[in-house]
Amino acid sequence: MHMLTGIRAIVQKDLAAEFRTRELLSSMLVFAVLTIIVFVFAFDPTKAVIRQVFPGMVWVCFIFAAVLGLNRSFVSEKTNDCITGLILCPVDRSVIYFGKLTANFIYVTIVEIVTLPLFAVLFNYKIPLQAVPALVLVIFLGTLGFTAVGTFLAALSSNARSSEVLLPVILFPVTVPVVLGAVQATAAILSGALTAEWVSWVKILGAFDAVFLVVPFVLFEYVLDM
Amino acid sequence: MEYLFAAYMIIWVLIFGYVLTLGKREKQLQEDIFVLKKYLSNNDKKS
Amino acid sequence: MKEPVNTPSLTDRVLGWGTFLAVTVALYLVFMWVPNEKIQGPVSKIIYFHIASAWLAFFAFFVVMVCSIIYLKTKDLKWDIISYASAEIGVLFTTIVLVTGPIWGRASWNAWWTWDHRLTTTLILWFIYIAYLMIRSSFNEEEKKARFSAVFGIIGFIDVPIVWMSIRWWRTIHPNIVSSGGFAMDPSMVQTLLVSLGAFTLLYFYLLRKGILIQKMRSEFELLKQELGTGR
Repeated sequence: MHMLTGIRAIVQKDLAAEFRTRELLSSMLVFAVLTIIVFVFAFDPTKAVIRQVFPGMVWVCFIFAAVLGLNRSFVSEKTNDCITGLILCPVDRSVIYFGKLTANFIYVTIVEIVTLPLFAVLFNYKIPLQAVPALVLVIFLGTLGFTAVGTFLAALSSNARSSEVLLPVILFPVTVPVVLGAVQATAAILSGALTAEWVSWVKILGAFDAVFLVVPFVLFEYVLDM
Repeated sequence: MEYLFAAYMIIWVLIFGYVLTLGKREKQLQEDIFVLKKYLSNNDKKS
Repeated sequence: MKEPVNTPSLTDRVLGWGTFLAVTVALYLVFMWVPNEKIQGPVSKIIYFHIASAWLAFFAFFVVMVCSIIYLKTKDLKWDIISYASAEIGVLFTTIVLVTGPIWGRASWNAWWTWDHRLTTTLILWFIYIAYLMIRSSFNEEEKKARFSAVFGIIGFIDVPIVWMSIRWWRTIHPNIVSSGGFAMDPSMVQTLLVSLGAFTLLYFYLLRKGILIQKMRSEFELLKQELGTGR
């Protein structure tokens, strides 16, 4: 119970700070929408090929927006040395990790909720209603996996000299299974394929999430050690 | 046949290249350490 | 004071010559002794060193993970030095795999790159350890560099099986136009392959010792520089 209160406190702190300035969320949103616009120009939205690349575009957009948010997640704590204050909190280090993860997850989810309908509208893509629950599950698992590794590596790279450049480079290779799984599962679901076709992707996503939610318990204390 | 030749050429060029860079780094460091040591011992004598 | 001539230790010399000998024997076996594979012809000889490099790269990354764990437990920089030297060798041999793979593929499947699951996983592996080396180069303090790269060395290695699984699954639903096909192994081929593996393992240890030596010299150099800086 103690752990949950700690996590909630950190999430509340992050969200309160964010909703006062809205600088992170607004730039993430604008960036995500701009990505859609770039895709519209890059691939003619009237062509049939859109149906095939649509899941890929959606996830590229989500991931780029997520990286934008993750980059700020720990770097923003560097000003006024807030990170030291966080570390000095009488809680386990993993509480800080899960608090940050939850906050990042919330930001990315907000971006996703806004951009996915926009994608559907701008590309004139009909998302079948009965596919929505499965889609929500895949987006949930994919976002969780990406932000879990992302939060961890953002904490790691925030100490580096050029952390903004370092994070994507170290994050993308590690998250290959998430990107692959999420895109493939989304594609299968949107094309109305049988459950058997995407359920193994969900399993891979689940396995990835499980592994990278357990690993920080052991390793996060080394990342945040001063 | 030329593919085989190309493949082995690349393997050896890479490995030898790496060994050579290692050797170069070693030599450079050796010289640097030598210079520093000499400098330090000279300083010792003066003081 | 005379300029010191670095005399390699006995172990290093034995290891050096042993490696040289083993690689020569392996080369002899590959080019002179082992028969060509029936279907693919002489090009099939690439695989001996291709597989040996892949094995070595994987072994090197395994060493990185083990030394990273030991480093985090003991905080002894010695283990960090081993991880670094090993990661560098691993990246080198992954590069060799990535270059020889397409050459072999070009000859036998008539396509440079197929998104075959082994080759693709190797590519991702390569990126993961390039990232490892980039983490190392973006920290100045020895302790931070060692700690963060150790954490990443562990995560990267844990990630490899998941990458492997997901990519294999991806390939099974998008079947290859060209199948990688079976490779009928003659006993003499197996023997040649084993000798190549042995030779490359020796090569690994030779390079590793050399890399460790250089890292030690570098830290000695840094120490001397500090001494000079404090102005005695």
